Amino acid sequence: MAVIDTRAVAHAKPETRQARTAWGLTAPALALMVLILLVPVFVAGVLSFSNYSLGNPGFDWVGAQNYERLFTRSTYEKMFIATFTYVVTVVPISVGLGLGAAMLVHSLGRIGDIYKTIYFLPVMATLLAMAIAWEFMLHPTIGMVNRTLAMACGTWAEAISFFKSGCADGFPLWLGDRDYAIWVVCFIGIWQGFGFNMVLYLAGLTSVHRELYHAAEVDGAKSAWERFRLVTWPALGPTTVFVVTISCIRAFQVFDTIEAFWPQGGGPNKSAYVMMFAIFEKGVQQNLIGIGSAITMLFLIFVMFLTLIQRWLVERRVHYG
Amino acid sequence: MAQLSITSITKRFGETPVLKGVSLDVANGEFVSLVGPSGCGKSTLLRIIAGLEAPTTGSVTLGGVDVTATRAADRNLSMVFQSYALYPHLSVGENIAVPLRMRELTGLQRLPVVGGLMPGAKARRQRIASQVSRAAEMLEIGALLDRKPGQLSGGQRQRVALGRALVRNPAAFLLDEPLSNLDAKLRVQTRAEIAELHRTLGATFIYVTHDQVEAMTMSDRIAVMMGGEILQCAAPDIIYEDPDDIRVAEFIGSPKINILPLERSGTGLYLFGRSLEWRVTNAAPEVMQLGLRPEALHLTQHAPRLTGRVAHFENLGSEVFAQIALNDDALRVTLRATPAQRQMLGLGAEVGLGFDTQAAMVFDPDGKRLRKVEAMAGMTSEVA
Repeated sequence: MAVIDTRAVAHAKPETRQARTAWGLTAPALALMVLILLVPVFVAGVLSFSNYSLGNPGFDWVGAQNYERLFTRSTYEKMFIATFTYVVTVVPISVGLGLGAAMLVHSLGRIGDIYKTIYFLPVMATLLAMAIAWEFMLHPTIGMVNRTLAMACGTWAEAISFFKSGCADGFPLWLGDRDYAIWVVCFIGIWQGFGFNMVLYLAGLTSVHRELYHAAEVDGAKSAWERFRLVTWPALGPTTVFVVTISCIRAFQVFDTIEAFWPQGGGPNKSAYVMMFAIFEKGVQQNLIGIGSAITMLFLIFVMFLTLIQRWLVERRVHYG
Repeated sequence: MAQLSITSITKRFGETPVLKGVSLDVANGEFVSLVGPSGCGKSTLLRIIAGLEAPTTGSVTLGGVDVTATRAADRNLSMVFQSYALYPHLSVGENIAVPLRMRELTGLQRLPVVGGLMPGAKARRQRIASQVSRAAEMLEIGALLDRKPGQLSGGQRQRVALGRALVRNPAAFLLDEPLSNLDAKLRVQTRAEIAELHRTLGATFIYVTHDQVEAMTMSDRIAVMMGGEILQCAAPDIIYEDPDDIRVAEFIGSPKINILPLERSGTGLYLFGRSLEWRVTNAAPEVMQLGLRPEALHLTQHAPRLTGRVAHFENLGSEVFAQIALNDDALRVTLRATPAQRQMLGLGAEVGLGFDTQAAMVFDPDGKRLRKVEAMAGMTSEVA
């Protein structure tokens, strides 16, 4: 039988005891968070002001030189352009498509499950393997995409300038063309990501009270759009916050497609040189820990900033019912 | 406001028939309750009237116009839902304004910022605001207009739902068990308020409930529904005193009506082998059922028609209900007595019961009322 020191327990004030227990129970999680989250971030922050390389016995402090480079060199300008193009394109489209697909699937009965599976498949599949399949499809001469496009040659479609020039001079190289490369990556990102958003929205849709639609109908909301504005969209507010935040973070983190398509350098003329790839290239491949850390810090700031803005915007507008 | 009639409505969900040819005419300004046990099809019928559900066959006319194919949004009806169905993201005022905004503002005028700049929008918005505040005043929820539904109590939400229904001038109000989520005290209060609202507005009300007390106290007429049919539709006192069907008699009235077996032998009628003074012809069925409301029974010592033992006793203060076990507990009848008779009703006491001939009802074995038999026996003055 356990012996309890009743006197000691009785002596401490209840509030103090409660506080002590609370800290005791939080301690493991707190320790882990500091150890595996805050310490590495802090270390990266410190290293971003140095020229440290893994294996070197020492390093020098270089001040803000790494950051200065980030904002002056054209490579990094391309990095920012590629990253923001990707985020700005992929987030709204994959959220919109996810919502649209969720509403369509939700309105179906049994068949809905089939569509759900189809749309969710790209999310489950390994992106690296999928990238290889896309690479074949997008091959300039033997790829399925250009062959399909070529079928339109000699038909009315040639009136469109894209087909006209494509039939005459060959269709785009896609992955090899610096005007198209980032858009192809965006397309694959959307294709891969919207199924996940759809599933989140589907979960959100099930919580919308059906009687609200009937009330909206009786209140005179005639079109589907009016019912969407009145009932669905506000009810999905909390889901949207989550979906947009997650999509943004995932979009910032895009890496494996780029690595699979262009392992040596982030696309033609660095047109798809996204931040995550830059961190990998500088910090891991070239062992330039200093500049790698600087990009990492910037990356963190972007993501934090975005998340905070969203929270602030959303907390005032979204109703949590 | 308009006269509303539904004609031989049937509805089946897959193979399951829910409504089996229901017809009902509701006059302008009338308060009609659809009452019945759960699953009797009363809510489905209301939703068909509202246009939220399409009938399998049959038609709905509103003010003489066939609206069977008209969608709910175009029927000009207001509905109060059981869950109130308030838009959770809109304030009380905005909730009440929704039916007006949807009907009176164009899509552009409804836009958040730009809408106010559209020609004519300002005047209309002001008109809507004044209508909303008038409705809120009527229901005494003026102080709540800026709150969200989540911050309101059940009773307040119910008022907001009512406000949203009456803010415009609909052809009829449809109410789907609006009081079922309120506590008992509030229910009694709101019941009176809805009845008063009906008198003030003079509008047509169709009220669905499973609570017979609500139906009895509020309605001009009650339609008792069971198994997808309207068994009887009449004024509350007729439904109670002169039911057509034993199911109506059993559903309406609390405590429940007493049903006793009645036998015919030759021209005589017998109750538990005891001859009654009524005489009938051979046309009457051999086995019948006798319905007696608790208040139709009275205690008597002189030539009682029933004898039994007091098995249970409930004192409600103003009245007393006693369950009398007849024939060694094979059957129990409920008796309403006055508080003065309490001492005669001690548990286990032997009592004799008589009943008022005028108040007795005779039903055939299937439950249909046998008014002819009653007339023959001289139980009622008029022949149905």
